[in-house]
Amino acid sequence: MILLLSLVIAVVFGSGAFLILQRDLFRVVVGIVLISNAANLFIISAGLTRGDPPIRPFPDGATIADPLVQAMALTAIVISSSVAALLLSLVYRLYLAHDSVDIEDVSAAEVREAEALEGDEDVELREDPR
Amino acid sequence: MDSTLLALPVLIPWVLAAALALLDGRRPYVGWIAVAGLGAGFTCVLGLTFLVIRGGPVETVAGGWPEGVGITLRADALGVAFAVVSIGVILASLVYEVLGGVRSRTFPALVAFMAAGLTGLFLTGDAFNFYVFFEISMTAAYALTGYREKDYQVRAAFIFAVINLLGSVIFLIGVAALYHVTGSLDMEVIAERASRVQPSSIISIATAVFVAFSLKLGLFPFHFWLPAVYVGSHPPVAAILSGALANIGGYGLLRFGADVLPRELELGTVAVLILGTASIIYGALQAISRHETAEVLAYSAIGQAGYILLALGIGGPVGYAAAVVYAVVNSMNKALLFLAAGTRGPLVGAAFAVGAFSVVGVPPVAGFVGKLAMFRASVEAGSVALTALIFFGGALSFVYVFQIYQRVFWASDEKEKAGPLPTRVLVLLLAGLVLAAGLWPEPLLVLGEAAARVLEDGP
Repeated sequence: MILLLSLVIAVVFGSGAFLILQRDLFRVVVGIVLISNAANLFIISAGLTRGDPPIRPFPDGATIADPLVQAMALTAIVISSSVAALLLSLVYRLYLAHDSVDIEDVSAAEVREAEALEGDEDVELREDPR
Repeated sequence: MDSTLLALPVLIPWVLAAALALLDGRRPYVGWIAVAGLGAGFTCVLGLTFLVIRGGPVETVAGGWPEGVGITLRADALGVAFAVVSIGVILASLVYEVLGGVRSRTFPALVAFMAAGLTGLFLTGDAFNFYVFFEISMTAAYALTGYREKDYQVRAAFIFAVINLLGSVIFLIGVAALYHVTGSLDMEVIAERASRVQPSSIISIATAVFVAFSLKLGLFPFHFWLPAVYVGSHPPVAAILSGALANIGGYGLLRFGADVLPRELELGTVAVLILGTASIIYGALQAISRHETAEVLAYSAIGQAGYILLALGIGGPVGYAAAVVYAVVNSMNKALLFLAAGTRGPLVGAAFAVGAFSVVGVPPVAGFVGKLAMFRASVEAGSVALTALIFFGGALSFVYVFQIYQRVFWASDEKEKAGPLPTRVLVLLLAGLVLAAGLWPEPLLVLGEAAARVLEDGP
Protein backbone atom coordinates (compact mmCIF):
# COMPACT_ATOMS: atom_id res chain seq x y z
CA MET A 1 0.00 0.00 0.00
CA ILE A 2 2.81 2.36 0.93
CA LEU A 3 4.69 1.54 -2.26
CA LEU A 4 1.56 2.01 -4.34
CA LEU A 5 0.79 5.37 -2.75
CA SER A 6 4.31 6.66 -3.18
CA LEU A 7 4.28 5.59 -6.82
CA VAL A 8 0.96 7.37 -7.40
CA ILE A 9 2.22 10.53 -5.69
CA ALA A 10 5.46 10.40 -7.68
CA VAL A 11 3.63 10.01 -10.99
CA VAL A 12 1.14 12.80 -10.25
CA PHE A 13 3.89 15.15 -9.05
CA GLY A 14 6.08 14.27 -12.01
CA SER A 15 3.34 14.91 -14.55
CA GLY A 16 2.59 18.21 -12.85
CA ALA A 17 6.23 19.24 -12.97
CA PHE A 18 6.37 18.26 -16.65
CA LEU A 19 3.30 20.37 -17.44
CA ILE A 20 4.68 23.40 -15.58
CA LEU A 21 7.66 23.38 -17.92
CA GLN A 22 5.43 23.62 -21.01
CA ARG A 23 4.95 26.76 -23.11
CA ASP A 24 1.18 26.77 -22.95
CA LEU A 25 0.03 28.71 -19.91
CA PHE A 26 -3.08 26.53 -19.48
CA ARG A 27 -0.83 23.52 -19.13
CA VAL A 28 1.16 25.38 -16.51
CA VAL A 29 -2.05 25.91 -14.53
CA VAL A 30 -3.03 22.24 -14.91
CA GLY A 31 0.48 21.34 -13.76
CA ILE A 32 0.03 23.41 -10.61
CA VAL A 33 -3.33 21.73 -9.96
CA LEU A 34 -1.74 18.29 -10.35
CA ILE A 35 1.13 19.16 -8.02
CA SER A 36 -1.29 20.49 -5.39
CA ASN A 37 -3.17 17.21 -5.62
CA ALA A 38 0.06 15.27 -5.20
CA ALA A 39 0.50 17.22 -1.97
CA ASN A 40 -3.05 16.32 -0.90
CA LEU A 41 -2.33 12.65 -1.51
CA PHE A 42 0.87 13.03 0.46
CA ILE A 43 -1.08 14.48 3.41
CA ILE A 44 -3.51 11.55 3.33
CA SER A 45 -0.67 9.06 3.20
CA ALA A 46 1.13 10.84 6.05
CA GLY A 47 -1.58 9.68 8.44
CA LEU A 48 -2.63 6.40 6.91
CA THR A 49 -4.19 4.42 9.74
CA ARG A 50 -6.81 1.68 9.91
CA GLY A 51 -9.56 1.86 12.47
CA ASP A 52 -13.11 2.80 13.29
CA PRO A 53 -14.44 6.13 12.05
CA PRO A 54 -13.62 8.88 14.54
CA ILE A 55 -17.23 9.55 15.52
CA ARG A 56 -18.34 9.72 19.14
CA PRO A 57 -19.22 7.57 21.05
CA PHE A 58 -16.17 5.41 20.44
CA PRO A 59 -16.58 1.66 20.85
CA ASP A 60 -14.53 0.27 23.75
CA GLY A 61 -10.98 -0.74 22.97
CA ALA A 62 -11.26 0.00 19.27
CA THR A 63 -8.52 1.81 17.35
CA ILE A 64 -9.69 5.04 15.80
CA ALA A 65 -8.59 6.18 12.36
CA ASP A 66 -6.66 9.46 12.31
CA PRO A 67 -9.20 12.22 11.54
CA LEU A 68 -6.66 15.03 11.39
CA VAL A 69 -5.28 14.21 7.95
CA GLN A 70 -8.78 14.30 6.48
CA ALA A 71 -9.29 17.77 7.88
CA MET A 72 -5.92 18.91 6.58
CA ALA A 73 -6.50 17.46 3.12
CA LEU A 74 -9.92 19.08 2.94
CA THR A 75 -8.46 22.47 3.81
CA ALA A 76 -5.66 21.99 1.29
CA ILE A 77 -8.15 21.02 -1.42
CA VAL A 78 -10.20 24.16 -0.81
CA ILE A 79 -7.08 26.32 -0.97
CA SER A 80 -5.72 24.69 -4.12
CA SER A 81 -9.03 24.90 -5.96
CA SER A 82 -9.47 28.59 -5.18
CA VAL A 83 -5.89 29.33 -6.18
CA ALA A 84 -6.45 27.43 -9.43
CA ALA A 85 -9.43 29.69 -10.12
CA LEU A 86 -7.25 32.75 -9.50
CA LEU A 87 -4.56 31.40 -11.84
CA LEU A 88 -7.10 30.72 -14.57
CA SER A 89 -8.41 34.27 -14.30
CA LEU A 90 -4.85 35.56 -14.63
CA VAL A 91 -4.35 33.43 -17.74
CA TYR A 92 -7.60 34.79 -19.18
CA ARG A 93 -6.43 38.32 -18.52
CA LEU A 94 -3.12 37.53 -20.25
CA TYR A 95 -5.04 36.06 -23.17
CA LEU A 96 -7.08 39.24 -23.51
CA ALA A 97 -3.91 41.32 -23.53
CA HIS A 98 -1.77 39.22 -25.86
CA ASP A 99 -4.31 37.22 -27.88
CA SER A 100 -2.37 34.09 -27.03
CA VAL A 101 -1.63 31.79 -24.12
CA ASP A 102 1.79 30.82 -25.40
CA ILE A 103 4.64 31.92 -23.15
CA GLU A 104 6.74 32.79 -26.21
CA ASP A 105 4.24 35.40 -27.40
CA VAL A 106 3.87 36.79 -23.91
CA SER A 107 7.59 37.14 -23.35
CA ALA A 108 8.04 38.61 -26.83
CA ALA A 109 5.61 41.34 -25.81
CA GLU A 110 7.65 41.85 -22.65
CA VAL A 111 10.87 42.29 -24.63
CA ARG A 112 9.14 44.77 -26.96
CA GLU A 113 8.00 46.84 -24.00
CA ALA A 114 11.45 46.76 -22.40
CA GLU A 115 13.03 47.92 -25.64
CA ALA A 116 10.54 50.73 -25.98
CA LEU A 117 11.40 51.73 -22.44
CA GLU A 118 15.13 51.74 -23.06
CA GLY A 119 14.83 53.53 -26.39
CA ASP A 120 13.16 56.50 -24.81
CA GLU A 121 14.22 57.01 -21.21
CA ASP A 122 12.13 60.13 -20.72
CA VAL A 123 8.84 58.48 -21.45
CA GLU A 124 7.45 57.11 -18.21
CA LEU A 125 5.74 53.98 -19.40
CA ARG A 126 5.82 52.29 -16.03
CA GLU A 127 4.14 54.95 -14.02
CA ASP A 128 1.45 57.28 -15.22
CA PRO A 129 1.92 60.70 -13.62
CA ARG A 130 -0.69 61.45 -11.04
CA MET B 1 -7.60 39.92 28.75
CA ASP B 2 -4.33 38.60 27.35
CA SER B 3 -6.04 36.08 25.12
CA THR B 4 -8.41 38.77 23.80
CA LEU B 5 -5.45 40.92 22.87
CA LEU B 6 -3.94 37.89 21.15
CA ALA B 7 -7.05 37.18 19.08
CA LEU B 8 -7.86 40.81 18.19
CA PRO B 9 -4.94 41.51 15.79
CA VAL B 10 -6.02 38.53 13.72
CA LEU B 11 -9.76 39.15 13.99
CA ILE B 12 -9.85 42.88 13.27
CA PRO B 13 -8.20 42.78 9.80
CA TRP B 14 -10.17 39.63 9.04
CA VAL B 15 -13.62 41.11 9.67
CA LEU B 16 -12.44 44.35 8.09
CA ALA B 17 -11.35 42.56 4.91
CA ALA B 18 -14.65 40.70 4.61
CA ALA B 19 -16.58 43.97 5.02
CA LEU B 20 -14.33 45.91 2.64
CA ALA B 21 -14.71 43.27 -0.05
CA LEU B 22 -18.34 44.34 -0.38
CA LEU B 23 -17.52 48.04 -0.74
CA ASP B 24 -16.06 50.00 -3.62
CA GLY B 25 -12.44 50.58 -2.63
CA ARG B 26 -12.06 53.50 -5.04
CA ARG B 27 -14.12 55.75 -2.82
CA PRO B 28 -11.90 57.65 -0.38
CA TYR B 29 -14.07 56.88 2.65
CA VAL B 30 -13.65 53.12 2.09
CA GLY B 31 -9.90 53.58 1.97
CA TRP B 32 -9.99 55.52 5.23
CA ILE B 33 -12.14 52.83 6.89
CA ALA B 34 -9.44 50.35 5.90
CA VAL B 35 -6.75 52.63 7.31
CA ALA B 36 -8.68 53.04 10.59
CA GLY B 37 -9.26 49.30 10.93
CA LEU B 38 -5.66 48.38 10.19
CA GLY B 39 -4.57 51.14 12.56
CA ALA B 40 -6.66 49.49 15.30
CA GLY B 41 -5.07 46.12 14.45
CA PHE B 42 -1.63 47.70 14.55
CA THR B 43 -2.37 49.22 17.97
CA CYS B 44 -3.38 45.78 19.27
CA VAL B 45 -0.15 44.26 17.96
CA LEU B 46 1.79 47.04 19.67
CA GLY B 47 -0.04 46.37 22.94
CA LEU B 48 0.63 42.66 22.55
CA THR B 49 4.32 43.36 21.95
CA PHE B 50 4.48 45.37 25.15
CA LEU B 51 2.79 42.53 27.06
CA VAL B 52 5.08 39.86 25.59
CA ILE B 53 8.25 41.80 26.30
CA ARG B 54 7.14 42.49 29.87
CA GLY B 55 5.60 39.16 30.81
CA GLY B 56 6.77 36.52 28.36
CA PRO B 57 4.82 34.60 25.72
CA VAL B 58 1.02 34.78 25.62
CA GLU B 59 -0.82 31.63 24.64
CA THR B 60 -4.41 30.62 24.06
CA VAL B 61 -6.22 27.68 22.47
CA ALA B 62 -8.74 28.77 19.87
CA GLY B 63 -12.39 27.85 20.33
CA GLY B 64 -12.06 26.81 23.98
CA TRP B 65 -10.75 23.35 23.08
CA PRO B 66 -8.58 21.55 25.61
CA GLU B 67 -4.86 22.03 25.20
CA GLY B 68 -3.31 19.56 22.77
CA VAL B 69 -6.54 19.24 20.78
CA GLY B 70 -7.37 22.75 19.63
CA ILE B 71 -5.28 25.07 17.50
CA THR B 72 -2.89 27.15 19.57
CA LEU B 73 -2.36 30.86 19.12
CA ARG B 74 0.96 31.80 20.62
CA ALA B 75 2.63 35.19 20.70
CA ASP B 76 6.30 35.24 21.62
CA ALA B 77 8.91 37.92 21.07
CA LEU B 78 9.96 36.54 17.68
CA GLY B 79 6.40 36.51 16.32
CA VAL B 80 5.41 39.94 17.60
CA ALA B 81 8.64 41.52 16.32
CA PHE B 82 7.80 40.43 12.79
CA ALA B 83 4.09 41.19 13.22
CA VAL B 84 4.73 44.77 14.34
CA VAL B 85 7.01 45.64 11.45
CA SER B 86 4.92 43.86 8.81
CA ILE B 87 1.61 45.43 9.83
CA GLY B 88 3.37 48.78 10.17
CA VAL B 89 4.68 48.55 6.61
CA ILE B 90 1.29 47.46 5.26
CA LEU B 91 -0.42 50.32 7.08
CA ALA B 92 2.06 52.88 5.73
CA SER B 93 1.70 51.58 2.19
CA LEU B 94 -2.09 51.60 2.43
CA VAL B 95 -2.11 55.19 3.67
CA TYR B 96 0.23 56.12 0.82
CA GLU B 97 -2.06 54.60 -1.79
CA VAL B 98 -5.24 56.02 -0.27
CA LEU B 99 -3.66 59.49 -0.25
CA GLY B 100 -2.65 59.08 -3.88
CA GLY B 101 -6.01 57.65 -4.94
CA VAL B 102 -6.95 53.96 -5.08
CA ARG B 103 -7.69 52.77 -8.61
CA SER B 104 -9.29 49.40 -7.99
CA ARG B 105 -12.30 48.43 -5.92
CA THR B 106 -10.55 45.44 -4.36
CA PHE B 107 -7.33 47.09 -3.22
CA PRO B 108 -8.22 47.91 0.44
CA ALA B 109 -9.85 44.51 0.97
CA LEU B 110 -6.82 42.67 -0.44
CA VAL B 111 -4.46 44.65 1.75
CA ALA B 112 -6.60 43.85 4.81
CA PHE B 113 -6.65 40.15 3.86
CA MET B 114 -2.89 40.17 3.61
CA ALA B 115 -2.60 41.84 7.02
CA ALA B 116 -4.94 39.22 8.50
CA GLY B 117 -2.92 36.39 6.98
CA LEU B 118 0.38 37.82 8.14
CA THR B 119 -0.66 38.48 11.75
CA GLY B 120 -2.19 35.02 11.92
CA LEU B 121 0.97 33.47 10.60
CA PHE B 122 3.22 35.28 13.04
CA LEU B 123 0.97 34.55 16.02
CA THR B 124 0.08 30.91 15.44
CA GLY B 125 1.67 27.98 17.23
CA ASP B 126 0.38 25.35 14.83
CA ALA B 127 2.30 24.26 11.73
CA PHE B 128 -0.74 23.58 9.53
CA ASN B 129 -2.44 26.76 10.64
CA PHE B 130 0.77 28.51 9.65
CA TYR B 131 0.35 27.07 6.14
CA VAL B 132 -3.27 28.24 5.91
CA PHE B 133 -2.47 31.81 6.96
CA PHE B 134 0.54 31.74 4.68
CA GLU B 135 -1.70 30.86 1.73
CA ILE B 136 -4.18 33.60 2.64
CA SER B 137 -1.52 36.27 2.57
CA MET B 138 0.14 34.82 -0.54
CA THR B 139 -3.15 34.69 -2.45
CA ALA B 140 -3.83 38.31 -1.55
CA ALA B 141 -0.31 39.09 -2.75
CA TYR B 142 -0.86 37.42 -6.15
CA ALA B 143 -3.91 39.55 -6.71
CA LEU B 144 -2.16 42.68 -5.42
CA THR B 145 0.76 42.24 -7.82
CA GLY B 146 -1.67 42.64 -10.67
CA TYR B 147 -3.09 45.84 -9.13
CA ARG B 148 -3.52 48.56 -11.79
CA GLU B 149 -3.90 45.74 -14.34
CA LYS B 150 -1.20 46.84 -16.74
CA ASP B 151 -0.09 43.98 -18.97
CA TYR B 152 3.34 43.71 -17.40
CA GLN B 153 1.76 43.67 -13.94
CA VAL B 154 -0.51 40.76 -14.84
CA ARG B 155 2.49 38.93 -16.29
CA ALA B 156 4.40 39.58 -13.07
CA ALA B 157 1.43 38.33 -11.04
CA PHE B 158 1.32 35.10 -13.04
CA ILE B 159 5.04 34.39 -12.59
CA PHE B 160 4.78 35.26 -8.92
CA ALA B 161 1.77 33.01 -8.40
CA VAL B 162 3.17 29.97 -10.20
CA ILE B 163 6.59 30.06 -8.51
CA ASN B 164 5.27 30.75 -5.05
CA LEU B 165 2.54 28.13 -5.33
CA LEU B 166 5.28 25.60 -5.97
CA GLY B 167 6.99 26.86 -2.83
CA SER B 168 3.73 26.56 -0.86
CA VAL B 169 3.19 23.00 -2.03
CA ILE B 170 6.72 22.07 -1.01
CA PHE B 171 6.08 23.60 2.40
CA LEU B 172 2.76 21.74 2.71
CA ILE B 173 4.53 18.46 1.95
CA GLY B 174 7.09 19.37 4.61
CA VAL B 175 4.31 19.98 7.17
CA ALA B 176 2.62 16.68 6.33
CA ALA B 177 5.95 14.87 6.62
CA LEU B 178 6.61 16.50 10.00
CA TYR B 179 3.17 15.34 11.10
CA HIS B 180 3.97 11.84 9.91
CA VAL B 181 7.24 11.73 11.85
CA THR B 182 6.14 13.45 15.06
CA GLY B 183 2.38 12.84 15.11
CA SER B 184 1.60 16.43 15.98
CA LEU B 185 1.06 19.79 14.36
CA ASP B 186 1.79 21.97 17.37
CA MET B 187 5.21 23.57 16.85
CA GLU B 188 6.29 23.05 20.46
CA VAL B 189 5.39 19.36 20.40
CA ILE B 190 7.03 18.90 16.97
CA ALA B 191 10.23 20.51 18.26
CA GLU B 192 10.20 18.36 21.38
CA ARG B 193 9.60 15.10 19.54
CA ALA B 194 11.90 15.93 16.62
CA SER B 195 14.75 16.34 19.07
CA ARG B 196 14.33 12.70 20.06
CA VAL B 197 14.52 11.11 16.59
CA GLN B 198 17.55 10.67 14.37
CA PRO B 199 18.31 13.92 12.50
CA SER B 200 18.88 11.90 9.33
CA SER B 201 15.15 11.13 9.13
CA ILE B 202 14.21 14.81 9.38
CA ILE B 203 17.00 16.39 7.35
CA SER B 204 15.13 15.95 4.06
CA ILE B 205 12.00 17.55 5.57
CA ALA B 206 14.14 20.40 6.89
CA THR B 207 15.58 20.87 3.40
CA ALA B 208 12.10 21.05 1.87
CA VAL B 209 11.04 23.66 4.43
CA PHE B 210 14.25 25.60 3.84
CA VAL B 211 13.68 25.63 0.07
CA ALA B 212 10.08 26.80 0.53
CA PHE B 213 11.05 29.76 2.71
CA SER B 214 14.08 30.64 0.60
CA LEU B 215 11.72 30.97 -2.35
CA LYS B 216 9.58 33.44 -0.40
CA LEU B 217 12.57 35.40 0.80
CA GLY B 218 14.23 35.40 -2.64
CA LEU B 219 17.58 33.95 -1.64
CA PHE B 220 20.24 33.49 -4.28
CA PRO B 221 19.46 30.29 -6.17
CA PHE B 222 15.69 30.78 -5.67
CA HIS B 223 15.55 34.47 -6.55
CA PHE B 224 14.81 34.28 -10.29
CA TRP B 225 11.17 35.38 -9.99
CA LEU B 226 11.81 38.33 -7.71
CA PRO B 227 13.11 41.11 -9.99
CA ALA B 228 10.28 40.69 -12.52
CA VAL B 229 7.68 40.94 -9.75
CA TYR B 230 9.16 43.91 -7.88
CA VAL B 231 9.79 45.86 -11.09
CA GLY B 232 6.28 45.28 -12.34
CA SER B 233 4.50 46.21 -9.14
CA HIS B 234 3.09 49.59 -8.29
CA PRO B 235 5.36 51.26 -5.62
CA PRO B 236 3.11 50.73 -2.54
CA VAL B 237 2.54 47.12 -3.62
CA ALA B 238 6.28 46.61 -4.05
CA ALA B 239 6.75 48.11 -0.57
CA ILE B 240 4.22 45.65 0.84
CA LEU B 241 5.79 42.70 -0.98
CA SER B 242 9.36 43.42 0.07
CA GLY B 243 8.67 45.01 3.45
CA ALA B 244 5.92 42.75 4.76
CA LEU B 245 5.43 39.61 2.67
CA ALA B 246 9.13 38.74 2.39
CA ASN B 247 9.13 38.60 6.20
CA ILE B 248 7.35 35.25 5.89
CA GLY B 249 10.61 33.85 4.56
CA GLY B 250 12.79 35.35 7.28
CA TYR B 251 10.35 34.44 10.04
CA GLY B 252 9.81 30.92 8.67
CA LEU B 253 13.53 30.25 8.48
CA LEU B 254 14.02 31.45 12.05
CA ARG B 255 10.95 29.67 13.42
CA PHE B 256 11.32 26.34 11.65
CA GLY B 257 15.11 26.42 11.47
CA ALA B 258 16.23 27.76 14.82
CA ASP B 259 13.17 26.98 16.92
CA VAL B 260 11.59 23.75 15.66
CA LEU B 261 14.49 21.94 13.97
CA PRO B 262 17.67 23.34 15.55
CA ARG B 263 19.75 20.18 15.16
CA GLU B 264 19.05 20.00 11.44
CA LEU B 265 19.94 23.68 11.10
CA GLU B 266 23.25 22.95 12.78
CA LEU B 267 23.93 20.14 10.32
CA GLY B 268 23.29 22.49 7.44
CA THR B 269 25.28 25.45 8.78
CA VAL B 270 27.88 25.36 6.02
CA ALA B 271 25.23 25.32 3.26
CA VAL B 272 23.36 28.18 4.96
CA LEU B 273 26.51 30.31 5.22
CA ILE B 274 27.50 29.64 1.60
CA LEU B 275 24.04 30.51 0.28
CA GLY B 276 23.98 33.65 2.40
CA THR B 277 27.38 34.76 1.07
CA ALA B 278 26.36 34.02 -2.52
CA SER B 279 23.14 36.03 -2.03
CA ILE B 280 24.96 39.06 -0.64
CA ILE B 281 27.56 39.20 -3.41
CA TYR B 282 25.23 38.28 -6.28
CA GLY B 283 22.51 40.71 -5.18
CA ALA B 284 24.91 43.61 -4.73
CA LEU B 285 26.75 43.08 -8.04
CA GLN B 286 23.51 42.73 -10.00
CA ALA B 287 22.08 45.81 -8.28
CA ILE B 288 25.11 47.88 -9.28
CA SER B 289 24.74 46.88 -12.91
CA ARG B 290 21.04 47.81 -13.18
CA HIS B 291 19.60 51.17 -14.10
CA GLU B 292 15.96 51.17 -13.22
CA THR B 293 15.25 52.09 -9.60
CA ALA B 294 12.81 49.24 -8.91
CA GLU B 295 15.22 46.74 -10.44
CA VAL B 296 18.12 47.94 -8.30
CA LEU B 297 15.95 47.71 -5.19
CA ALA B 298 14.80 44.21 -6.18
CA TYR B 299 18.36 42.92 -6.45
CA SER B 300 19.20 44.78 -3.27
CA ALA B 301 16.43 42.77 -1.57
CA ILE B 302 18.16 39.55 -2.66
CA GLY B 303 21.42 40.79 -1.16
CA GLN B 304 19.82 41.93 2.09
CA ALA B 305 18.11 38.54 2.50
CA GLY B 306 21.62 37.05 2.45
CA TYR B 307 22.52 38.90 5.66
CA ILE B 308 19.55 37.35 7.47
CA LEU B 309 20.65 33.90 6.33
CA LEU B 310 24.23 34.64 7.39
CA ALA B 311 23.08 35.62 10.89
CA LEU B 312 20.94 32.47 11.03
CA GLY B 313 23.98 30.38 10.09
CA ILE B 314 26.11 32.00 12.79
CA GLY B 315 23.40 31.19 15.32
CA GLY B 316 23.65 31.55 19.07
CA PRO B 317 22.00 34.38 21.01
CA VAL B 318 24.00 37.06 19.19
CA GLY B 319 23.39 35.60 15.72
CA TYR B 320 19.64 35.17 16.20
CA ALA B 321 19.29 38.64 17.69
CA ALA B 322 21.19 40.02 14.69
CA ALA B 323 18.89 38.13 12.29
CA VAL B 324 15.74 39.56 13.91
CA VAL B 325 17.08 43.12 14.17
CA TYR B 326 18.36 43.01 10.60
CA ALA B 327 15.06 41.65 9.26
CA VAL B 328 13.07 44.37 11.03
CA VAL B 329 15.40 47.16 9.88
CA ASN B 330 15.48 45.78 6.35
CA SER B 331 11.65 45.85 6.16
CA MET B 332 11.59 49.48 7.23
CA ASN B 333 14.32 50.37 4.71
CA LYS B 334 12.59 48.65 1.81
CA ALA B 335 9.23 50.24 2.58
CA LEU B 336 10.82 53.69 2.80
CA LEU B 337 12.88 53.27 -0.38
CA PHE B 338 10.06 51.90 -2.54
CA LEU B 339 7.59 54.54 -1.34
CA ALA B 340 10.12 57.37 -1.72
CA ALA B 341 11.07 56.17 -5.21
CA GLY B 342 7.39 56.24 -6.17
CA THR B 343 6.97 59.96 -5.71
CA ARG B 344 8.82 63.19 -6.52
CA GLY B 345 9.15 66.65 -5.10
CA PRO B 346 10.97 68.67 -2.44
CA LEU B 347 12.42 66.69 0.47
CA VAL B 348 11.52 63.30 -1.06
CA GLY B 349 15.18 63.05 -2.08
CA ALA B 350 16.18 63.64 1.54
CA ALA B 351 13.84 60.86 2.70
CA PHE B 352 15.30 58.53 0.07
CA ALA B 353 18.80 59.43 1.24
CA VAL B 354 17.87 58.44 4.81
CA GLY B 355 16.71 55.05 3.49
CA ALA B 356 19.86 54.76 1.38
CA PHE B 357 22.10 55.45 4.36
CA SER B 358 20.09 52.90 6.30
CA VAL B 359 20.71 50.20 3.65
CA VAL B 360 24.41 50.96 3.76
CA GLY B 361 24.45 51.01 7.56
CA VAL B 362 25.82 54.46 8.29
CA PRO B 363 25.06 56.01 11.69
CA PRO B 364 22.78 57.50 12.92
CA VAL B 365 20.02 55.72 10.97
CA ALA B 366 18.39 52.37 11.81
CA GLY B 367 20.49 50.42 9.33
CA PHE B 368 23.52 51.11 11.48
CA VAL B 369 21.94 49.16 14.35
CA GLY B 370 21.34 46.21 12.03
CA LYS B 371 24.84 46.28 10.57
CA LEU B 372 26.33 46.64 14.06
CA ALA B 373 24.42 43.56 15.23
CA MET B 374 25.72 41.69 12.16
CA PHE B 375 29.30 42.74 12.92
CA ARG B 376 28.91 41.66 16.54
CA ALA B 377 27.61 38.26 15.40
CA SER B 378 30.49 37.77 12.96
CA VAL B 379 33.06 38.75 15.61
CA GLU B 380 31.37 36.36 18.02
CA ALA B 381 31.68 33.62 15.41
CA GLY B 382 35.39 34.45 15.29
CA SER B 383 35.48 34.58 11.52
CA VAL B 384 37.51 37.28 9.79
CA ALA B 385 36.09 36.24 6.42
CA LEU B 386 32.50 36.90 7.55
CA THR B 387 33.39 40.30 9.02
CA ALA B 388 35.14 41.24 5.79
CA LEU B 389 32.15 40.01 3.76
CA ILE B 390 29.71 42.15 5.72
CA PHE B 391 31.94 45.17 5.26
CA PHE B 392 32.37 44.45 1.55
CA GLY B 393 28.62 43.97 1.08
CA GLY B 394 27.99 47.29 2.81
CA ALA B 395 30.47 49.03 0.51
CA LEU B 396 28.79 47.59 -2.57
CA SER B 397 25.37 48.65 -1.33
CA PHE B 398 26.74 52.17 -0.91
CA VAL B 399 27.51 52.20 -4.63
CA TYR B 400 24.13 51.02 -5.82
CA VAL B 401 21.82 53.07 -3.58
CA PHE B 402 23.66 56.27 -4.31
CA GLN B 403 23.66 55.48 -8.00
CA ILE B 404 19.87 55.63 -7.77
CA TYR B 405 20.05 58.78 -5.72
CA GLN B 406 22.30 60.42 -8.27
CA ARG B 407 20.23 59.38 -11.27
CA VAL B 408 16.79 60.06 -9.88
CA PHE B 409 17.03 62.78 -7.29
CA TRP B 410 20.08 64.81 -8.33
CA ALA B 411 19.10 65.17 -11.94
CA SER B 412 16.28 67.55 -11.06
CA ASP B 413 13.91 67.55 -13.92
CA GLU B 414 11.65 70.58 -14.11
CA LYS B 415 9.12 68.68 -16.15
CA GLU B 416 8.52 66.20 -13.38
CA LYS B 417 5.49 66.95 -11.32
CA ALA B 418 5.84 66.86 -7.56
CA GLY B 419 3.82 64.18 -5.85
CA PRO B 420 0.85 65.24 -3.69
CA LEU B 421 1.88 66.88 -0.43
CA PRO B 422 0.30 64.29 1.94
CA THR B 423 2.23 61.38 0.39
CA ARG B 424 5.43 63.36 0.65
CA VAL B 425 4.71 64.06 4.31
CA LEU B 426 4.09 60.33 4.84
CA VAL B 427 7.42 59.43 3.23
CA LEU B 428 9.14 62.01 5.41
CA LEU B 429 7.46 60.56 8.51
CA LEU B 430 8.74 57.11 7.57
CA ALA B 431 12.22 58.53 7.10
CA GLY B 432 11.90 60.16 10.51
CA LEU B 433 10.96 56.78 11.99
CA VAL B 434 14.01 55.09 10.43
CA LEU B 435 16.16 57.91 11.79
CA ALA B 436 14.55 57.68 15.24
CA ALA B 437 15.08 53.90 15.36
CA GLY B 438 18.77 54.59 14.74
CA LEU B 439 19.04 57.34 17.35
CA TRP B 440 17.14 55.38 20.00
CA PRO B 441 17.82 51.73 19.16
CA GLU B 442 16.86 50.46 22.62
CA PRO B 443 13.37 49.06 21.71
CA LEU B 444 14.73 47.36 18.60
CA LEU B 445 17.60 45.71 20.48
CA VAL B 446 15.37 44.61 23.37
CA LEU B 447 12.99 43.01 20.87
CA GLY B 448 15.86 41.29 19.07
CA GLU B 449 17.35 39.94 22.27
CA ALA B 450 14.00 38.73 23.57
CA ALA B 451 13.38 36.94 20.26
CA ALA B 452 16.83 35.36 20.38
CA ARG B 453 16.10 34.15 23.91
CA VAL B 454 12.92 32.44 22.66
CA LEU B 455 14.95 30.65 19.98
CA GLU B 456 17.82 29.79 22.30
CA ASP B 457 15.69 28.25 25.03
CA GLY B 458 13.76 26.17 22.56
CA PRO B 459 9.97 26.29 22.57
